Amino acid sequence: MIAINTEAILETIAFIATFLLLPPLLVGIIRKTKARFQNRIGAPLLQPYFDLLKLLSKGETISKHTSWIFRSTAAINVSLLIILAFLAPWTSLRPFNLGADLFLVIYLLALTRFFTVLSALDAGSAFGGFGASREVTLALLVEPAVILCLAAIGSVSQTSDLGIAFSFDNVALMNQPGLWFIAGCGLFLASLVELSRMPADDPTTHLELTMVHEAMILENSAANLALVEYAHFLKILILLGISSQCLLHAIPFFWHTSQLVLALSSIFSIMILAASIAVIESVAVKLRWTKLPEFIAYSVAMSIFCVFIALSKNLN
Amino acid sequence: MINDPTTLSAANLFTSASAIWLAGLVITAIGRERVKSNFLAFLMLAGALLTLGGAAISWNQSIEYNHLQYISFGLAPANSLVDSLSVPFLGLLGLLASAAAVASPSHVDALNSQGKKGHYWKLTFIFLIGLQQVLLAANGIAFLVFWEIMSLSSAGLVAADHIRHRAQRAAFAYLTATRISTGFITAAFLWMHQNTGSWSLSAWHFGTEQSLVAAFLLLIAVCAKAGVWPMHVWLPLAYPEPPGPTSAIFTGLIGNISIYLLMRLLLAGECSHIAIAYAAISLGTISALWGVLFALMERDLKKLLAYSTVENMGIILTAIGVAILAHCHGLTTIATLASAAALFHTLNHGLVKALLFLGAASVERAVHTRELSALGGLGKNMPWTMLCFFIGSLSICAMPPMNCFASKWLVYQTFFQLSFANAPILERAMSLAMVGVLAFVGALSLACFTKAVGIAFLGRPRSNAAAKAKESTTNGPDGLIIAQLMLAIACVMIGTSVPIALDGLAPAIRHLTHDQFVIGSTLFPIPQGQLALVGGILVSSIYLFVLGRRSGEVKSYITWDCGFGPLSTRAEETGSSFSHPIGRIFSQILQLKVTTEISGKDRRHFPESVRVETFMTPILETKLYRPVMGLFDWLSSSLVRLQTGSIHIHLLYVFLTMLLLVFLGTNI
Repeated sequence: MIAINTEAILETIAFIATFLLLPPLLVGIIRKTKARFQNRIGAPLLQPYFDLLKLLSKGETISKHTSWIFRSTAAINVSLLIILAFLAPWTSLRPFNLGADLFLVIYLLALTRFFTVLSALDAGSAFGGFGASREVTLALLVEPAVILCLAAIGSVSQTSDLGIAFSFDNVALMNQPGLWFIAGCGLFLASLVELSRMPADDPTTHLELTMVHEAMILENSAANLALVEYAHFLKILILLGISSQCLLHAIPFFWHTSQLVLALSSIFSIMILAASIAVIESVAVKLRWTKLPEFIAYSVAMSIFCVFIALSKNLN
Repeated sequence: MINDPTTLSAANLFTSASAIWLAGLVITAIGRERVKSNFLAFLMLAGALLTLGGAAISWNQSIEYNHLQYISFGLAPANSLVDSLSVPFLGLLGLLASAAAVASPSHVDALNSQGKKGHYWKLTFIFLIGLQQVLLAANGIAFLVFWEIMSLSSAGLVAADHIRHRAQRAAFAYLTATRISTGFITAAFLWMHQNTGSWSLSAWHFGTEQSLVAAFLLLIAVCAKAGVWPMHVWLPLAYPEPPGPTSAIFTGLIGNISIYLLMRLLLAGECSHIAIAYAAISLGTISALWGVLFALMERDLKKLLAYSTVENMGIILTAIGVAILAHCHGLTTIATLASAAALFHTLNHGLVKALLFLGAASVERAVHTRELSALGGLGKNMPWTMLCFFIGSLSICAMPPMNCFASKWLVYQTFFQLSFANAPILERAMSLAMVGVLAFVGALSLACFTKAVGIAFLGRPRSNAAAKAKESTTNGPDGLIIAQLMLAIACVMIGTSVPIALDGLAPAIRHLTHDQFVIGSTLFPIPQGQLALVGGILVSSIYLFVLGRRSGEVKSYITWDCGFGPLSTRAEETGSSFSHPIGRIFSQILQLKVTTEISGKDRRHFPESVRVETFMTPILETKLYRPVMGLFDWLSSSLVRLQTGSIHIHLLYVFLTMLLLVFLGTNI
């Protein structure tokens, strides 16, 4: 039985409000920062919310070649990501500990990919097929890096439960700024690829031939598109959240501070990461498709460093 | 050995199952075309259900019985033994045989020749008897006899379509693999008999120095029969060949039976050779990577599934390797996890692979081809097949909340826990690396099965046959569809109630690890069923409140064509173009070559015709097996010179042999 007290209720409300409202804001931050870099004023910070609302009120058109997979993918993905938001340690403010198993988190993310790829193939358009094929290729390269970063952290704390590994009272991981920092950077680079951001994919271009994510959702419209977009925003929140948590753990200050400061700074750090995505997108170019494995190799290299650190910590 | 009524009735159930199958065989042989296929399918189903019932009764106890005492194989009687390890496999046999029985009538009725029908029933009954008795065999001799019956009858099934060159080749390759396997198993058995003086499988312990050779022989035999790298080459040839319904039994159990042998002898026999563990882990790893990579590149739906078996056999073998390794180091928790992982994944994989092969059989029946490039858009006309194939694909990619996620999770957990256990640093590094490798394999299999589902069932049809595909031979779903649904429901049920399934397997896990304190339900702490329920509620509420609000206004239109007019189906992504980006990354292993020919009057940007060809040469077959086979060819053609046909020379041979024998007889 969970003891009901005001604090727990407040925490729960704050948590749910954060994960429901923050994701579009992150995209707003990215777009605004990019606009400022290009000397534009840019759309308002809250534009993604307006876009979502507008999409919800539009009439939907779907291809006659599609099956139930296309129709249900967006709903399934949003549900999966909501479940993930409750499980994964993307913020230090987690009112309930549901046991965020490392492999479950990775495989739930993979399940969203499974559905996205199938729905892209469903309409039988060439663009969807291209995007799907690229998506699975990128996932293949990134997956080992993500899992090794997290497994290294889990291995030092001797548990695969990320909730325990990422809690701020886990002594085994207290003095490991190196491990946390490298894991955070590795995960951040991997998230850039997973989220179809700049070096891997250009989300603002309208040339479908070069795109990954946008090419896959070409056939979606109206409420369905709104759900797809929202699912993508949630994915941004969760992946950036996990990397920012790693980076926060690398700073000793946060190990000795109050819950409130932690909660605020974890939200703030996600925003900073979102802004830094915008910075990267403003100064870097999209890599050629064949050069991408070299970029992902940085992430893999970092994950291998994490593994080395983890192995040396557990020397017996 | 207890003599209470239940044990006896379990033994009776198994024996009567075999007897019914034997009766089916006799009836087919005598009755010829007068026997209705529904009746034979009923016999097959009855035997399968009796096997299931026997497995259910003897779940938690071991029975030794001797119903076949009048048969003696000279060295040892035909003893049968049911123990906690054979029961899960017997259960799987019962389930798959029931599915195959349900699917059989519609398959057989569609066959045009009486010979083919008889061939199908006779071989299937012999195959089932062989399979069941292999699992029940208590001693090495009985095991070998029934193993041979199983192997040869299944080779007959592989050659079912023997007029085709493809089936002939497959049958020969499969026979070669079974010969190698049987040879090595016999050698291993003889060695163990020499060491222990007993033929009983349970009397053999692999903890002694002398047993190392036998363990190695056994590992080679199992690799050959289960299709582990580098002896997997027969598998993509043979797995697609057995006729539709039996392909469920064949693909679900052929590999599993050899894994069962490995578990029974090496895990339950307390193997403590670290070399075996290393060999198993490394072969398993290569096999997993190799299998999934070739599965991804495959253009034939059934061959894709066959290569995915190579991958999964590899994963199971690594888990067995870790179990042996952990046993050597005395790490009980990890040994338990690894054994549970290996056992559970073996059973899950058997179930899922049977389901997928039934789906592929259904596709082949409807479209008359297995080439992915001629499929597409089948989901419209074949909704049930698509649903079942989709569930199977989710499961084999280890997606939560399916059954394979639970077993794959156990495999991950095995390696993960080894990384901070009390083991040498190199082994711990290896185990973390394996976590990465497994993630890599997982991502590849996701690519592979999204390709299989997406190219075959989604999109627009790529051929006329695919557009006109008809799912069932009757108005409602016929046997083949019901069989798929049965297995798909089993997958979902196991997936959403893993703790119950693991509790059921606990006796077998205790048998493997000799650890009496294993509690099955605590091995897998993730509440998959509850998560699935929450997910279902979320999805339906989103449907109701977001998508459903305006569903009346949804317009149906063509796929976006950039305004160019009707899209040709040739503009669609094909199976090979889907996997091409990954193929390029691994072009060295796959020997993938692309040639592009652009013609037109030196106008690179406005060509008149473009011709792109991709080639893949299977590296292992050409670089390793072709020279070996060439050597055998050369040897046999050289030896043929001895056979001159002249009576004088042959008399000389007889004389020389006699001299040699006399010499040997006097000098040794």
